[in-house]
Amino acid sequence: MRRYQDRVYNFCRYMLQNPEDAQDAAQDVFMKAYRGLKDFRPDSSTYTWIYRIAVTTCLDYKRKSRRERFRREPLPEDLPSDEPYPDQLYESKESTEAVQVAFQNLPEKLRAAIVLREMEGLSYEEIARVLHTSMGTVKSRISRGREQLRHLLKKIEAE
Amino acid sequence: MISWYVDDELSPDEKKDFDFHIQECATCREELEETQALLRIFASAERFSAPFGFTTRVLGNLGEKEESPLRGLLAVKPFFLRSAQVAFALVVITIGIISGNLLLAERTDTIGQAAVVQEVFSLDLFQATPPDSIGGIYSTLMRPSHES
Repeated sequence: MRRYQDRVYNFCRYMLQNPEDAQDAAQDVFMKAYRGLKDFRPDSSTYTWIYRIAVTTCLDYKRKSRRERFRREPLPEDLPSDEPYPDQLYESKESTEAVQVAFQNLPEKLRAAIVLREMEGLSYEEIARVLHTSMGTVKSRISRGREQLRHLLKKIEAE
Repeated sequence: MISWYVDDELSPDEKKDFDFHIQECATCREELEETQALLRIFASAERFSAPFGFTTRVLGNLGEKEESPLRGLLAVKPFFLRSAQVAFALVVITIGIISGNLLLAERTDTIGQAAVVQEVFSLDLFQATPPDSIGGIYSTLMRPSHES
């Protein structure tokens, strides 16, 4: 579990944009994985299987939170800070902030594909297996997602 | 197309065509630069680690849910339902105490009667003569087997 926890948490963190929800969702992922161990088929990789559970869990969380209350989150409290930052950290902090702001407006399906590709470094083929879809759909989602993010970031920069 | 180009997902021929096109088309060149900048942002964005104690918490939750199925009964429920549960438990305990006392009283009576009987009928009447006493030696000598 320790081997996968950071990657699962990171995925949930970028999908849900909120440290508390990410932590709850990541816990749920491992609980579901534990209970579903008997259904795990060794022919698929463990990473693919865990990410598949993570995608479903995060989409459920998004649906649930939308039903409960629509909230437009400010940036998570662990990001903005007035303290001086070393250059490299400042760059990382700015990038993280930019990615999170842009992700807020990205449809979930596109976001899942983008997070798996850009933040988790999965190949198109692996993403297709995780999302239970074709390579063509994955290519299209990543392409559309990047395009939308590009426009969003341009808009943010212009403001 | 640009997205697949940066991910190296184009065939050699498609890549060659695109490289040629990009020399001529300023719009595509700009888009390509923006996409590459976007990828740099992703690359430098933070990778979050699971919070300290994450594994312990998950294992704890698993333990709680797997080990105690009765936990569900004590989970948060409407007030009246919890009150009913408490009242039922109290009734069961009270009945237990009362019936326990009754049984004990009955048993005490039986024990008391036995003690009285024991006292009335002296041990001398019922108990065999101890073998190491004179009476015991006498009765042993007088048994039929010894007669023969």
